[in-house]
Amino acid sequence: MSGIVRILAREESGIVQVKIIIPHPNESGTRKDELGIVVPAHFVREGSVKVNGAALLDIELGPSVSTDPFLQIRFPGKKGDVLNVTFLDNRNELFTAEAVVQ
Amino acid sequence: MRRRKFFTTGAIFSAYLSIWPASLLAGWSEKNFQRCTIEQAFVNAFGAREPVRSDKITIVAPPVAADGSAVPVQVISSLKGEEIYLFVEKNITPLVFKCTLKGNALPWFSLNVKMKESSALYAVVKEGGDYFMTSVHVDVLAQAC
Repeated sequence: MSGIVRILAREESGIVQVKIIIPHPNESGTRKDELGIVVPAHFVREGSVKVNGAALLDIELGPSVSTDPFLQIRFPGKKGDVLNVTFLDNRNELFTAEAVVQ
Repeated sequence: MRRRKFFTTGAIFSAYLSIWPASLLAGWSEKNFQRCTIEQAFVNAFGAREPVRSDKITIVAPPVAADGSAVPVQVISSLKGEEIYLFVEKNITPLVFKCTLKGNALPWFSLNVKMKESSALYAVVKEGGDYFMTSVHVDVLAQAC
């Protein structure tokens, strides 16, 4: 089930824009399938982003985030900074990825 | 005894597994992400403090979304925010995310949001113990939940 978290980090005039895509079904727990049975909740709940080992931001997510959550953040940085991203879903499945700012 | 040793290592290992991912992250607040009304969600997140309307926060979202299953929403603020919240009024769980900014992260956040129906969006930014907010309305043509 767990795919690879994709990160794209680009620096432009001192500001790094980070795009994060987590391949995940992100079921809210309220949707019904074709048979009318409620699909159990399965969504990314929390995450953290680190730059060069220092915490940049923590995030808590609710069930109303789209399938394959797509997040974008910005911070002042430079090319070569190392990003570490960790996400955890409500079934304690861990998603991690590392990327270098381009 | 071999068997006893196996049990002990197994117990230690499973304890490690159960603690490790949870302690790695801040912890998810069940109370904030309850199924409730928007008013209750505000109380759950901010307690008795009521967010003040401010023009220093901007929500960038399409006024009309063809598909409610992924509506791109940007929250931008010129305040030096500590926390950013986003609420969708008509969703079953109004709070979409709570973002805690650390280090030098900019108060700029974008996410694809699921919307059940046409609704108001509220963005709240915490700065120095006070909460500031703004809202926009998004019409949804095809619903999702």
